Amino acid sequence: MRLPGWTREPLVHFLVAGFALFALLTWSSSGEVDPASRVISVDHAQQAELALQFQRMMGRAPTDAELATAIDRFVRDEVLYREALRLGLDQGDAVVRRRLVTKMDLSASAAAEAAEPDEAVLRAFYETHRARYADAGAVSFDQLYFASESAARAALPGLAATGDWQRAGDPISLPQSLEQVSQQEVQTRLGEVFAAGLDRLQPGTTWQGPLRSGFGWHLVRLRARGSGAAPAFETIRQQVENDWRSAEIAARKERAFTVLREAYRVEIAQ
Amino acid sequence: MNRAIRRLTLASVLAVALAACGGEADVPEEQTGTGEGTITLSEFPDRPYWGDTHLHTDNSIDAFGFGVRLGPEAALRFASGEEVEATTGGKAKLARPLDFLVIADHSDGLGATRRLYDAPRWYVKWVIGDDTMLRWYDMMHESPEQSVRAVAELVTAAANNELPAALRDQSNREETTRDIWATHLSILDRYNKPGKFTALAGFEWTLMPDGNNLHRVVMFRDGRDKTETVLPFPGLSTTAEQLWDYLAAYEQNTGGRALAIPHNSNVSNGLMFEMTMPDGSPMTAEYAMKRAAYEPVVEATQIKGDSESHPFLSPNDEMAGFGVKGWELGNLPLTAPMKDDMFAGSYVREALKRGLSLEQQLGVNPYAFGMVGSTDSHTSLATSDEDNFWGKHTGNEPAYKDRAVVPQNLGTSQGRFGWHYLAGGYAAAWARGNTRAEIFDAFARREVYATTGPRMSVRVFGGFDFDAQDWDGDWVRKGYASGVPMGGELTDKGTAPRFMISALKDPDGANLDRVQVVKGWLDASGQTQERVYDAVWSDMATRVRSGGKVPAVGDTVNRKNATFTNTIGATELRTVWTDPDYTPGQRAFYYVRVIEIPTPRWTLFDAVRFGITLSKEAMDDAVAQERAYTSPIWLKLAKRPAAPTVMERK
Repeated sequence: MRLPGWTREPLVHFLVAGFALFALLTWSSSGEVDPASRVISVDHAQQAELALQFQRMMGRAPTDAELATAIDRFVRDEVLYREALRLGLDQGDAVVRRRLVTKMDLSASAAAEAAEPDEAVLRAFYETHRARYADAGAVSFDQLYFASESAARAALPGLAATGDWQRAGDPISLPQSLEQVSQQEVQTRLGEVFAAGLDRLQPGTTWQGPLRSGFGWHLVRLRARGSGAAPAFETIRQQVENDWRSAEIAARKERAFTVLREAYRVEIAQ
Repeated sequence: MNRAIRRLTLASVLAVALAACGGEADVPEEQTGTGEGTITLSEFPDRPYWGDTHLHTDNSIDAFGFGVRLGPEAALRFASGEEVEATTGGKAKLARPLDFLVIADHSDGLGATRRLYDAPRWYVKWVIGDDTMLRWYDMMHESPEQSVRAVAELVTAAANNELPAALRDQSNREETTRDIWATHLSILDRYNKPGKFTALAGFEWTLMPDGNNLHRVVMFRDGRDKTETVLPFPGLSTTAEQLWDYLAAYEQNTGGRALAIPHNSNVSNGLMFEMTMPDGSPMTAEYAMKRAAYEPVVEATQIKGDSESHPFLSPNDEMAGFGVKGWELGNLPLTAPMKDDMFAGSYVREALKRGLSLEQQLGVNPYAFGMVGSTDSHTSLATSDEDNFWGKHTGNEPAYKDRAVVPQNLGTSQGRFGWHYLAGGYAAAWARGNTRAEIFDAFARREVYATTGPRMSVRVFGGFDFDAQDWDGDWVRKGYASGVPMGGELTDKGTAPRFMISALKDPDGANLDRVQVVKGWLDASGQTQERVYDAVWSDMATRVRSGGKVPAVGDTVNRKNATFTNTIGATELRTVWTDPDYTPGQRAFYYVRVIEIPTPRWTLFDAVRFGITLSKEAMDDAVAQERAYTSPIWLKLAKRPAAPTVMERK
C-alpha cells in the first residue's frame, strides 16, 4: 500500500505529534492552578517554598511574622496576576506577545537546524542565488595617500609622467598596493568610504581620484577588478549549505505560519 | 489560555525534536582542522585580524535565562557579516564583519537552562524533583522580567555554591553535554573558512568563590578531531590549577594546543592576580610556571568594565580609570565590597608589575601576559561599537529603551546601573593569515592587543637600534629583523630600549589624541614602580607640553544629537621612543596605550534615539576617549638562566 504524499510531510508529523503531546500534557498537568479559579490555596508545600525563598535571600529562616508577610505578598501577587489574566493584560503586552511569537517560530524551525539537504537541493539553491555568490569583484590597485584634497589634485598630473610614483604622497601605514583582495578586505584596511569610492571607478592604467577616506584623500590606479562571476558550486558548497539552512529555517517558519494563518479571516478596515 | 499555548509550544518543540534526524555534515576538509597549509601566508603578520573571544549564545545557562533565543549558528552568521534577526526583534547586521570568533558558553550547566525551559513541567516537577529548579522553570516561563530574576538568583546561587544538585552534578549530565559540544563543534566547522573567517572552539570556565570573579575563556587551536575528545571543563567546583592540568592533559593526549584567558579581574575583589597561592601560602615556581604557560593573554576590557588601570593604583595617570565606575564597588554579584587592599589584585597593570616582583623571587613571571578586549555579550551578537550596542544580554537589548538608566542585575541594589556597562571591546591579532592556527599562535606569542571597540591599527617593535629614518624604508621588516613585536622580550644590553610605534586611526572612526607608553619596573630596592609617558600626540606644535602635561585635545561631541567631528586629533601617530629613564639592570615592561579623541558612548546614542533623560552622573559619563592597549614588551635581565616562557612551551 502506498501512503498519500501528505503523510510524508514533516509539517504533518510535526502537527500530529504536537497535538498528541499537547493532549498528554494537558492531561498530566491537570493539577496546575486554573487562572479562572477564585480560590487561592497556600498549602504547606507553598509556605515551605516561601520560607526557602526568604532563606535564600537573607541567609536565615524567616520569623513567623516575616513568613506571614511573605504569604501576604504571595497572595497579593497571585490575586493581581489572575486579575491581570482575566483582564487580558497579557494580551496587550508587547514583550509577552513577542516572547510567545518567538517560541512558536522556534518550534517551527528546530528541524531545519539539524536537517541534511541532498546535493540536488543545494545545487538548485546555488543556481537560484547565483547573484549572491557573484564575487563582488576582487580588486588589484595601487593607492597614494594625501592629507589634503588640494595636494592630491596637484599631484595627479605628475603621476603619469614619472614612473617613480611610490615616493609621491604623504606617509601613512597603509599598503600602497593590494593584489586580488575582496571588497571586505578593502573595507577593513581603508574603510567604508574608500571602498564605496573604489566601487565607482573603472579599471585601467591611469591614476584616478582623489577618493575620500576616513584618513584623507587617495589617488588610485585600479589595475583589475574580478569578473563578478559566481565561483563554481563545488568550491563554495559549505557556504551554500549554510545559506540554504538559514533560508530553510525562515521558509519553514513561513510555511508553519501559513498553515495557521489559513484558519483566520483578517479584516482590515479601509 | 496562556498556559495552554505554552503547553502546545512545548509539545511542538518536543515533536520536532523527535522528528529531527541528525546526520554527519560533509564539511570540506580544509575547514575542519587547524587551517595549516590551506592558504598562502604573508611573510610577516601584515594586518590585525579582528575578533571577539568571548561571546555567549543560548547554550549559556544565564544567557538563555536572560532570554536569548539565538544559538551558535546565528552567532557565527552575524559575526561573519550575515544579517540575523535579534531575539527581541529587529534585523541586525555588522557593518564591518569580524575575522574570528570564539563562542565561549559557560561549561557549567551547558545548555541546562535551555533544556530546563524546553522540558514539560511535569518532568521538572516529578522527574528532576527539585523545587528550586521548578521555581526557576516557572519564573522563566512567566515573563522576561521574572526570567531575568531567575537567572540573577541562579548566578547568586552559583556564587554561593548553592546550585541545585541537578545542575551541579556533571556526571549526571555528561551525555547531554557531549551532545551539545559535538553539535557545537560541527557548526563551527561549517563556518570556519580559512582565509575568510575563523571559528575557534572554546568555552567559559566560571570559577567564582564567594562571588569573586575568577572566570577564564578557554580557546582551542584545533579541529574537531581533537576538541571532541574532551568536554568543557566545569568551573564551579574546581580550581585554576585543575584547569591548567586539564589543558595540559588535553595537549598531551591529542598533540593539540589550548590556552585560557582570564577576564573581569575588576570584579574579583583582588583574587585574580594574587601575590600568593589561592590558599594564602607563598607562590611556588611550579604554580607560576603553569600559569605563565597556559595564560599568555588577559581580557582587559569588555562590557562589564575595563580592568587596565584604576586611579586608586595609578594616581599620576590622568587617563586611568576608563570604564571602572560601578564595577569598582565590589565583586561580581556585589555580595562583598572592594576594600583598598583588594585593588592591586584586580587590575591588569598592577598585575604586570607584580609579575616582575614574583619573577625576581621565583625565577618565573606568572603574570607575563598580553592583552585583548572582547564583548562578553550574552545576546549571540558580537557588537562592540558605541552606536550599535545590542546589550549585555537579552534583558537589555535596544527593545528596552530605558536600559541605560534602570538598575541592571549583578549587585544592582548597591548601585550598578545600565550606564555602567561599556559597549564592549575587540581583540586584534597580528597574524600572517586568517586561520585557526595563525590566530591562536598570535595569542600564544602575545602578538595581540585590546581595543575598547574602535579598530585602530597599532604596531609596536622593541629593540636597541631603531631611529626616525627607519620610517622611510620597510620599517616592518626592520622591526621584525632587529627587534621584537608586541608580546616579545628584549634582553638588557646596558642601553636604553627603543620602541618603534605606529598607531593608525580606525578608518571609519575617530581621530587619535595621543600615544602613551606605560612603563612598569622593579627599582633597586625591589619596589614596583610605574610611569605613563606621552610619546606622541596630535598637533604637537600647538599642544605644547607644560608642567609635564600635554594639554587636552578638545571635545567636539554634540550632546544633543550624539555626533562628533574629526576636526581635532590625528590620522596616524608615529614615533621612535627611547626610554628616558632607563636604568641598567632593572626588570621592566612597556606597553602602548592609544587614546582617541572624545566620542559619544552608547548611553548618549540611547538618550538621543529613545528620548530618555540620563542622570547627571550618567550624562557626565556619556562621552569618553576610547582606547587601545597593546601587549607589553618585557626587558629581561641579562645573564640569568632563561625562564620558561610561553613560546618555549612546546
